[in-house]
Amino acid sequence: MNPAATDHATNAAADNVTDTAADAATDTVSTPADAAEDLERRLGPVDPADAHVRDLADEREEFPQADVDALDGIGLARHYVPVEHGGLLRDYPSTAAMIRAVAGRDLTMAIAHGKTFLGAVSVWVAGSGEQAARVAGLVSAGVPVSWGLTERGHGSDLVAGEVTAYPDGDRVRLDGEKWLINNATRGGLVTVLARSDPAGGPRGFDLYLVDRRTAGDSYRPLPKVRTLGIRGADISGFTLDGVLLDPDADRVGAPGSGLETVMRSLQLTRTLCATLSLGAADHGLAEAAHFAADRRLYGRPLLDLPAAGRTLAECYADHLLHEAFATLATRAIHTLPGELGILAPAVKYLVPVGTEQLLARLRRLLGARAWLRDVRGTEVSPGVGVFQKIERDHRIVSLFDGNTVVNLNSLVSQFPLLGRAHRRPRPAEAGLYRAADLGAPLPPADPSRLRLMPTRGAGLLHDLPAAAAQLAELAAENGRLTPIAESARSLAERTGELLEDVAEQPIVPPDVPAHAFDLARRLTWALAGAAAVRLWLDSHSHVSRTALGPESLWTDGRWLHAALDRVHTRLVAGHRPTADEERALEETYAALTGELLRQTAGHRFPSLLHTRRAEAL
Amino acid sequence: MNTSESTARPADIDEVVDWLIERVAEYREIPAADVDPEVPLAELGLDSVYVLSLCGDVEDHYGLVVEPTVAWDHPTIDALAKHLHAELTGGAS
Repeated sequence: MNPAATDHATNAAADNVTDTAADAATDTVSTPADAAEDLERRLGPVDPADAHVRDLADEREEFPQADVDALDGIGLARHYVPVEHGGLLRDYPSTAAMIRAVAGRDLTMAIAHGKTFLGAVSVWVAGSGEQAARVAGLVSAGVPVSWGLTERGHGSDLVAGEVTAYPDGDRVRLDGEKWLINNATRGGLVTVLARSDPAGGPRGFDLYLVDRRTAGDSYRPLPKVRTLGIRGADISGFTLDGVLLDPDADRVGAPGSGLETVMRSLQLTRTLCATLSLGAADHGLAEAAHFAADRRLYGRPLLDLPAAGRTLAECYADHLLHEAFATLATRAIHTLPGELGILAPAVKYLVPVGTEQLLARLRRLLGARAWLRDVRGTEVSPGVGVFQKIERDHRIVSLFDGNTVVNLNSLVSQFPLLGRAHRRPRPAEAGLYRAADLGAPLPPADPSRLRLMPTRGAGLLHDLPAAAAQLAELAAENGRLTPIAESARSLAERTGELLEDVAEQPIVPPDVPAHAFDLARRLTWALAGAAAVRLWLDSHSHVSRTALGPESLWTDGRWLHAALDRVHTRLVAGHRPTADEERALEETYAALTGELLRQTAGHRFPSLLHTRRAEAL
Repeated sequence: MNTSESTARPADIDEVVDWLIERVAEYREIPAADVDPEVPLAELGLDSVYVLSLCGDVEDHYGLVVEPTVAWDHPTIDALAKHLHAELTGGAS
């Protein structure tokens, strides 16, 4: 085996495919916004009575069957299946945009349905053609698929897992318990991570496909767990008591590859989880914008009180920053798979945690209304509980699929590579610029190119000084870009210092010190800021030319200006803009507020790109 | 073979073993004399995720692009050195 040669061959093959895909893409130009609008059109306008029905179902902890049936009715699950296996998943950003639209209606609905993607993804990543065909058939037919990773005693520590898969004659026998598993009771198919070597270790686990129809009573679901949010979701677990499987046909990937497959798969799912947070924030921001514009205090709308207006604008800026980061990372699945190892945990940390903070600020803006279970303050019965439910439901997003600590820890474990890459920076790969250019067609995704570690570090970070210089050049021609170029230069400087600090960390501390977690946290904000700079630089001409997004956000780098301000507040404790900076920011935030209100009133998503809800279609 | 300029060419396996011992000693901040090349890397305190970053050292030092999981498939210094040496010398170990 020669890994170097294999790597080259794969790249060459991918490049060929890229050209073909580029040709195909020009024939049928379809953007993620088109995909979301298509879903909106098919689901139809939101009936205000739906929220009431959902609230009551939530209270009774009922599974949202009608919602899930509606999504099955429009064939959403086919967008979880890659085209090469007969599905409609051609590009990840489009599927992500559809899930975001569903999450913007109701998060429980999005999670209950979207979970099937998580259950199936390992098969797309490492399964045989035959397995992929089998799972594709089940998913497309609406069979829920579940992912059995975690256990009661071990949580996220997958190498400690005790469910076993040991040989039994010519079969393999699975025993043990998995707990806190989404869709464990409803799932028709479950992918289970099990220990195949009693000694464990990174090569001591396998992934198996357990089909409920053949497993019979040897698969026993555990009782539903009661939860704070997404109360209707099927969160439970299962016991395996001598489930007999075919050691070849039912094992996903080579013997001993279970953990590796899970780690690769998590790079995809952690990136996509951000879209659930974006949907929750779409929903929360729209509710808050309606309230702030309609609610009158001292003879004027709440929004006209400076502190209230600024809070709303800053929350919107946070949201746009999250969207920019998630957009670039999701496109990177196609164009820069080798760096997803750092992008995925960073996105999975930052977007859910940032959204929690944003929702908490909106809650304070709404005051008693967020507590009264009727956000618009008009009537207390229909549409009750919207905001508090969004916030409660969203709490799960920072916990599942690798919680906050797991994601930061994953970044800490990459410090040696990041430190080394910082000292020996290499030019960023072309895939980075393609990820940032919304006008560039995406090559087909190839999960075999996902790498567990980004050997060359994060191109986004190493490119930042050059990107800042590029902004400075543009600012020389357009003075309105000057504060933004200045902010980007300062971000590049702070990121450089941060990487110096990262490089000086003891390489393998026996226990990760608290300071390392703080460095990892700041690293995610630096990455998000760098992603925003790159996205604006490489996409603003295309977006303006094709009217893909609001001029008021893209002209003069307005959204980027606000997004970078939000990054600096996270990178530097007690960050305060200078008086000059503040004057420029005030104008920018006012423009953002105006756009948020326009998008909300026009039934569009609060977004960098024009995307209409069903009401506007 | 994907090698680049200014990268090392090992004369024999022992040289790769010595280089890996130094890397592990550096990672663990322990004397090289305490690193036993026959003991699994996990027992030397390199957990399954940290050990993946050894691939970065290999790429920088030998100019050889390896899958990060190479240290999972060859879990002792001796085994890893043998594998890397074979890769670097075109399969003949």
